[in-house]
Amino acid sequence: VIAVAAVTAVVLGTVGLGAWGVRLARTTSDVFVASRAVSPWWNAAAISGEYLSAASFLGIAGLEMKLGAGALWLPLGFTAGYLALLLFVAAPLRRFGSYTIPDFAEARLESPFMRLVAAAVVLVIAGFYLVPQLKGAGLTLGVVTGSPYWVGVVVVGLIVALIVALGGMRGITYVQAYQYWVKTFAICVPACVLLLHLGGLPERAALFGKELPRAPAAGLSVQLDGATDVEFPAATSYRLDGVVRRARAGEEITLKGRLELPPRATVPVADGTDALRGEDWSAPVSGDTTATPLYVYSLLLATVLGTMGLPHILVRFYTNPDGPAARRTTVRVLGLLGLFYLFPVVYGLLGRALVPELYITGTTDEVVLRLPEVAWPGLGGEILAAIVAAGAFAAFMSTASGLLVSLGGTISYDIWPRLRHGPGGSRTRRFRVAAALAMVPPMLLALVAHDIDISLLVGWAFALAASTFCPLLLLGIWWAGLTARGAAAGLVVGTVVSSGAIFTSLLAGGGELLQQPAVVSVPLAFLTMWLVSRATASRAPDPSAHMLALHAPEGLGFDAAR
Amino acid sequence: VSSGGRTPRDELAESTAVGDVYLRRLVRAQLTLSLLAVVAFGALLGALPLALILLPGLDDMLVLGLPAALWIVGAPMFVLLVALGFLYRRRADALDDAFRDLVRGPES
Repeated sequence: VIAVAAVTAVVLGTVGLGAWGVRLARTTSDVFVASRAVSPWWNAAAISGEYLSAASFLGIAGLEMKLGAGALWLPLGFTAGYLALLLFVAAPLRRFGSYTIPDFAEARLESPFMRLVAAAVVLVIAGFYLVPQLKGAGLTLGVVTGSPYWVGVVVVGLIVALIVALGGMRGITYVQAYQYWVKTFAICVPACVLLLHLGGLPERAALFGKELPRAPAAGLSVQLDGATDVEFPAATSYRLDGVVRRARAGEEITLKGRLELPPRATVPVADGTDALRGEDWSAPVSGDTTATPLYVYSLLLATVLGTMGLPHILVRFYTNPDGPAARRTTVRVLGLLGLFYLFPVVYGLLGRALVPELYITGTTDEVVLRLPEVAWPGLGGEILAAIVAAGAFAAFMSTASGLLVSLGGTISYDIWPRLRHGPGGSRTRRFRVAAALAMVPPMLLALVAHDIDISLLVGWAFALAASTFCPLLLLGIWWAGLTARGAAAGLVVGTVVSSGAIFTSLLAGGGELLQQPAVVSVPLAFLTMWLVSRATASRAPDPSAHMLALHAPEGLGFDAAR
Repeated sequence: VSSGGRTPRDELAESTAVGDVYLRRLVRAQLTLSLLAVVAFGALLGALPLALILLPGLDDMLVLGLPAALWIVGAPMFVLLVALGFLYRRRADALDDAFRDLVRGPES
């Protein structure tokens, strides 16, 4: 009940701020770039709020519990991505003054065709990134209220579509800044309170020693509704629906019904999870597949460079007043994200010690939501659980609205005007219609994709962004020699190689390079852009005016006024 | 400044050979600064997985109850990111200011 109230409060706060934003959104400029008048602190909170998605709020702690300390590299890469943005993209992109990445591609390369190619990539990245947000919403509402999966998907989808369609960028900025603080409060306070309540970290041997996760001293009872394949890392007796059985060490069994483990028994782990001893689990780099040095480097590359190419993040940089303000905003983002990312690891550590049943069901994604009530039975835990549930909702809603703004912007601004027989209407009206319609396909996909792993969809979005928009932006901003043909060829190669590798690993399994292809696909995309640009250099228009618009400081009269 | 009363601003606006040199110098200075920051951070971040592999003792050393390796990956890198971002921003803004002064000339 408390959790429902907390979630409702966050949703109402969002709708209220959104409604306030609607009143502010009077002009086209308000709707698209918040009139370019957002101050660095507001903008930094909004960017961070938009960025901290279901994957950050629920997924990182879940992955840390499942894979161990190897997952610590994720938040580091997610944050370091903004350093790369600051160093290479923030100020020049803001000065150039285009509104979307497709807009940038067309203006910089003087090729209307490039706008359409880039717009297609935006639709793929943002559309697929929206699916895991909605999926997270369905799961969370289910955990909190016991409602069916589709309810959360539809509720969050509709609210977000409404706020974005009515408020546009100006309204969304304040909503997202508010949601950053909701999320940080909701991840920080329960983590600190639980640590104080428990007086430190329990089960140290399973965390950092030679032990595997064990059932608590009172035994463990788990209801397995569907048939679940588990592996017993150590021999133990167990009861299934009351019948006593024995499992040998290393035995794989399919279980269904009520599983009961005796006190201190080593818990079995679901298929797809490795039973890691504490010493391996707590090593950030090890021989384990998801923590080998090659995997770690490839993952860092994908997250750092992928952040740079996420379309909903880049749109935000246009709301800065000028280039130096864009830089200032990005430095603040680094601080705000670092603050948030200190806390998910606490849930991973406590989850391994206290909620080992999630290893059996394979739903470590739920650890943030489940932990408070297990760690502190009673009212205290209930209140903390309500706080994290509210934070999770803020996470889905803010990222989903950011993605929808960029989908709506790309459809209404980059694609719609180029349709020969498309309906007319003002730019603002087109945006509202496009944003509302763009929510439909991801919602349908999320309803179908109940079983697809959240982190898989997110990983794909990052690898794709790193292999497409990252080389486009870096070369487009810093190298005068980039041509439209080179850029188009690079986008195609990056898309094909990165999604091909991930789909292959999805269908056929495969090593770390197929799961995390950035270390290959990103250099390939760069190389393609460079080689094809060199070969087609003679037909390219003179880029010096664009280089001037990108790099000339403010106050000299070279700012692009668009 | 130059003959015929043409200011650096005119050279830039008309994208003359002189103007291109001005602009290329600015772009190169900014890019050098960015790459320097990347090398600084990349050396640290890139060396970290290797250091953790080569110094397995860090997993066993406990600091405030947590293995040192967890601390190193989990917290100080974020502070480092902010510090590096702050230093970069100051230098980048200074480069922009210097270019602005150069183009506007001594009269302003």
